[in-house]
Amino acid sequence: MEPQLKQNNLAIPLAIVIAGALIAAAVYFGNAGAGGASALQPQGAEQFTGDLEQMQPITAGDHIRGNPDAPVKIVEYSDTECPFCKAFHATLQEASEEYRDDVAWVYRHFPLDQLHTKARKEAVALECAAELGGNDAFWKYADRWFELTPSNDQTNIETVLPQIAKEIGLDESKFATCLDSKKFDAHIEDNVQNATATGGNGTPWSIVIAPSGKKYPLSGAQPYESVKQLIDLALKDK
Amino acid sequence: MRGVLTSLANTRSAVVALTVAATVFAIAVWLPNLRLLFAIWTDASVSLGDKLALPISLLSSIATNFTLLSASYTIAIAVLAGVNAALIVRLIQMRGVFGSGAAVGASGIFTGAIGLGCAACGSLILTSLIGTVGGISILALLPLRGGEFGILGVVLLGVSTYLLAKQITKPFVCEPANIKV
Repeated sequence: MEPQLKQNNLAIPLAIVIAGALIAAAVYFGNAGAGGASALQPQGAEQFTGDLEQMQPITAGDHIRGNPDAPVKIVEYSDTECPFCKAFHATLQEASEEYRDDVAWVYRHFPLDQLHTKARKEAVALECAAELGGNDAFWKYADRWFELTPSNDQTNIETVLPQIAKEIGLDESKFATCLDSKKFDAHIEDNVQNATATGGNGTPWSIVIAPSGKKYPLSGAQPYESVKQLIDLALKDK
Repeated sequence: MRGVLTSLANTRSAVVALTVAATVFAIAVWLPNLRLLFAIWTDASVSLGDKLALPISLLSSIATNFTLLSASYTIAIAVLAGVNAALIVRLIQMRGVFGSGAAVGASGIFTGAIGLGCAACGSLILTSLIGTVGGISILALLPLRGGEFGILGVVLLGVSTYLLAKQITKPFVCEPANIKV
């Protein structure tokens, strides 16, 4: 009987180790992106490759903080209700101040509607700020938003969105009209699709681009020291 | 508790516990950025110093990229996984078997792993497993946004630790495999 008992003792852990290997493989391929699409993804996502090269090129239409011709560019896909985006906004502000002309910070929208129902409307508000007050107004609005609000859909956007617009000197009436329009819906959705196409599966999702064009993916609100090391690494890659 | 302390007093078991705990912790913290780390480690133009410095600095993301809840269960899973591994090694040394506690422990680690990541922002391992949109939709339905998996993992590892410790402290007696009354 003893050999059979030993066999049973081994069978369960072995089965779990195999299950773990399968999970690890799924995680790996999910992260690597190739073939990472699942039946639960929306139509149109079949071509999801998680390929950083699918990142839409940076254009004058982007919201850029710092020198647009900086050798290193950080493209951030962010959600205004994500607490980690709030923390990471401060991290990138610090990086912008320290590296000045060496780093350009590009902000793109990645509202996670399933978790944060207000985030998409707030993305529209940011676009309205840019339309009414230019690039400076966009960044003033974004800085004030992340400074003022607690994240996780806890903000009364009916009052806070116009309040920030007023604070930074935007025309309140035009801002309200813009906010009610749907003119930026396609642009925001385009950003979301591009975030997932490049492999983003949560926020903040960032891509650091070296002068050589090499792209480094950075997921989550990583500490300033890590961001700094990645920027320094990218600056060496000419 | 006595079984756990006795086992950890053994140098080999203590080394196993520390190694496994450190490894599980590092993997948990690096998981969102394995792609970045792989790119840097395989890039011949990156110096050895940079190859080491980035992963080390990413370890402190436990403070910036985790909620208090997810950081707590991530650390608990790492510590319990280390203790479990040490107990399994001890059990094999003493009795030459894994024991059923090992299976519970392994399932605890894998269940906990599903809950690792940034729950508030949808970047859990769960979303990698079943696709971004599907994963986030499931997270939205859960009160703790996926933290449930981490808590379940801690519970399973706790049960496993108990079962393994019990097996270690069990006296050596002859037990017939099948007694028909």
